[in-house]
Amino acid sequence: MSGSPRQVTPASSRLSTPGRRQFLRIAAAGGAAVVLSAAQGTAWAAPAAGRTRSYVLVVDGCRPDEITPALTPRLAALRDAGTNFPAARSLPVMETIPNHVMMMTGVRPDRSGVPANAIFDRAEGVVRDLDRPTDLHLPTLLERLQERGFTTGSVLSKKYLYGIFGTRASYRWEPQPLLPVTGHAPDAATMDALLAMVSGPDPDFVFTNLGDIDRVGHSDLSGTTLRAAREAALADTDLQVGRFIDHLRNAGKWDSSVVMVLADHSMDWSIPSNLISINLILQPRPELQSNITIAQNGGADLLYWTGPEPDRAAGLAAVAQLVSAHEGVLSVNTPADLRLGDEAGDLVAYCRAGWRFSDPYVASNPIPGNHGHPATEPIPFFVTGGSPLVVKGAVSSEAARTADVAPTIGGIYGLKAPAGGYDGTARRSAFTA
Amino acid sequence: MAGAMATGTPAGAFSASQTGLFGHGIASGDPMPGSVLLWTRVTPTPESLPGSGAGPDVSVQWEVSADAAFTKVVARGTVPTGPARDHTVKVVAGRLLPATSYWYRFTFGGEASPVGRTRTAPAAGAAVNRLKFGVVSCANWQAGYFSSYRHLAARGDLDAVLHLGDYLYEYAPGDYQARDVVVRPHDPAFEMTQLEHYRRRHAQYKTDPDLQALHAAAPFIVTWDDHESANDAWRGGAENHTPGVEGDWSERFAAAHQAYAEWMPVRYEPGGQIYRRLDFGSLASLSMLDLRSYRDQQAANGTDPAVGSPARTITGAAQMDWLLGNLKSTGPQWKLVGNPVMIAPVRIPSTLSTAELAGVQKLMGGTSIGGVPYNVDQWDGYEADRNRVVRHLRDNAVKDTVFLTGDIHSGWACDIPADPASYPATGDSVAAELVCTSVTSDNLDDILNVPPRTGSVGVENAIKAANPHVKYLDFDSHGYSVLDITAAGVRMDWYVLAERTSAGSGTALSTSFNVQANTGKVTPAQGELE
Repeated sequence: MSGSPRQVTPASSRLSTPGRRQFLRIAAAGGAAVVLSAAQGTAWAAPAAGRTRSYVLVVDGCRPDEITPALTPRLAALRDAGTNFPAARSLPVMETIPNHVMMMTGVRPDRSGVPANAIFDRAEGVVRDLDRPTDLHLPTLLERLQERGFTTGSVLSKKYLYGIFGTRASYRWEPQPLLPVTGHAPDAATMDALLAMVSGPDPDFVFTNLGDIDRVGHSDLSGTTLRAAREAALADTDLQVGRFIDHLRNAGKWDSSVVMVLADHSMDWSIPSNLISINLILQPRPELQSNITIAQNGGADLLYWTGPEPDRAAGLAAVAQLVSAHEGVLSVNTPADLRLGDEAGDLVAYCRAGWRFSDPYVASNPIPGNHGHPATEPIPFFVTGGSPLVVKGAVSSEAARTADVAPTIGGIYGLKAPAGGYDGTARRSAFTA
Repeated sequence: MAGAMATGTPAGAFSASQTGLFGHGIASGDPMPGSVLLWTRVTPTPESLPGSGAGPDVSVQWEVSADAAFTKVVARGTVPTGPARDHTVKVVAGRLLPATSYWYRFTFGGEASPVGRTRTAPAAGAAVNRLKFGVVSCANWQAGYFSSYRHLAARGDLDAVLHLGDYLYEYAPGDYQARDVVVRPHDPAFEMTQLEHYRRRHAQYKTDPDLQALHAAAPFIVTWDDHESANDAWRGGAENHTPGVEGDWSERFAAAHQAYAEWMPVRYEPGGQIYRRLDFGSLASLSMLDLRSYRDQQAANGTDPAVGSPARTITGAAQMDWLLGNLKSTGPQWKLVGNPVMIAPVRIPSTLSTAELAGVQKLMGGTSIGGVPYNVDQWDGYEADRNRVVRHLRDNAVKDTVFLTGDIHSGWACDIPADPASYPATGDSVAAELVCTSVTSDNLDDILNVPPRTGSVGVENAIKAANPHVKYLDFDSHGYSVLDITAAGVRMDWYVLAERTSAGSGTALSTSFNVQANTGKVTPAQGELE
């Protein structure tokens, strides 16, 4: 992928409208095309001038120390030009879906219903991803801004993110082409879509996920030492972010733009021998093993008691004791300790740095790069952009969190807190007013 | 070396404060958002000499003002003292505003003390743009003059001064000085072992005009290392303690702590604990450690299995739990640790000459393995405790932890490897360590008896080669450091003296290192701080 800006032309044709959606095909340079969808009745014309555009770019799985002038010069320059929050962290469980949900709702999982990527669905009796629109119990920034007369967009590289956020935005892109195994669209394609979104309907707010850094990090076999593939992905994602910035500048939109860049979690690498199987730990105790279902989330295992109710308390206490004794286990928590809600089950086990869970079988999780555990909490988090609203060249000690995105972006548009208030905090120190 | 030599304010300007009712000066310490501790020592009668136990019980007035002219007094009171506490005065002035400069003084018998300036800490959680601390350790009266203190006092921009231990030394004249020269003899003229001795030694140090000037200029935040009691102290003894001949260790240790509590501006009283935490808004917390009161005896040498034993401790279990609780992801951004002895692992290469190895061993203390020194008095001698700290930082991804260290009479800037074995390949570091050099105490060129920056340079290079996480090492210079803390990073400037044995010695910036936020790594910094 070249670093030169791609020219994306504005809307050229309106497609047929299956069901209640309408589609727009936007041509990109080189013959590629980007297809966006919108709710029926949504206008495709760009809103009036004089407004503030805002963009949240999630560099999925990026560690804060990976943004450097040498490796990611565009991201580093953006960070240094705006307001940086070096103490920023992800929130439990440090996985993609719950943290994207926290970004867009501003509330913790015990209110949103989305505590992890994978849960055990007691009603269906299966372990599954939380990738359905109905899994998210609260409205997000994407709908709430629309209710106030603003337009929103979602450009999400991962299939399961598109799944849970669905048609909430005014305009959305369904990720394609999806790479096999990873289930995500490459950042180059995702950026094509974002540029098309900005060139075409030009929403007031766009939520974007760039998945390459995370997906390559998971599988980088040199992750514990060289991180060769990971660094290549970082450099390429940086080029894509550069395309976006150049596009805003070339389109004359930079001076009205607020760009928030953050990650949903970071990444930790383990060697093959540092593997924990809770199923294996419980094997000598069949009365426990048979009554526990495990939803594996990389560095965190969610444990669900499925046995007789009278045996629950004693059984969970025994499980917690056995699991805690493993040298690779950092802690065993209750979902309430972590504000995860009932969907997270009965116990949440975290691994230590350099370890990973693999359940139900030792071969279930072969990938060296994982997250979900506290070692993967630190994230990049900065507010930048050409808008005069952005405080330039500042660094703040404030403990920013992923749940701060909704109140921070919502604040730009005068959006009030949802019923029950935000759990996150508007990072007003990044703004001049 | 960079920057022009500065000489600071002449020491003679403070001579008036060395006599009279308040001849030991005034001090403040342990700033909190709403209060600060004030200290002085009053000499109400000629016989009320330090350590004498003589003299009357008296009351001393104190006042705190928002201006140097005392036209805006915001707090005042009266505090009793007497021979039972060696006529020292300690009072916590409360109901103060956070992040505010104040001036304070004492009065007794119609005489006012010198005026001190202090500053409260920012409010809990408040945004703080910048903090600036002086950082010092290892001030041996007999080895020279405290010009470092004078230069720090002259800055006028310090929020506080961190004293990381060896504020005073226990030795008799001739036992430990500047190479072979006793620049200023200790009082009493023998090793301090009893309460009277410790009190007199503290009193002597407090007559130093440069030390008085620094105490008057900024609040101190102190902890002790070993020489406040005796060399290589541990909870049951010390290298420089001979049971029987020098009495019972527990009594000597208690005497040292009592005198320290009386004579230092610290929120510590005998029987309590000196390890404590101070917070500075959302920018920094500071955990001051006590690595002498709870530690097990030093291992015999580096091959002693005790070095790695999980049953041995340098902190004690309660202090370790407290420290790990402070080193967490919530709360202030920077987790600063006032750490009396080095925590970064240090391996001494066997390729050094016999004389060099002997010199390093004398400087660093500890023992040797086949002639190669190994400092079992540092965290190196308590590997299980160090592993607990490192593993905690790594497992919880605790960022922006910086250990601020003294003890070793040399300047260091180090990464603290997540795993020393893989560090050369990964560079993964969980924290940084910045070590200030000695105010006066001997270092390697003194021990080798060679000119500065000659014989030590090769040793420094060999140690850095053997320890790739050590990025800076100066084995020769005496001086002080200035720590600058912002949300973007922590920076230490090392200032070195021209000549510690000269009362008017100049100083110059030697080098600077940064710890950028979120990196846990030390990197060279350019230019002098504003």
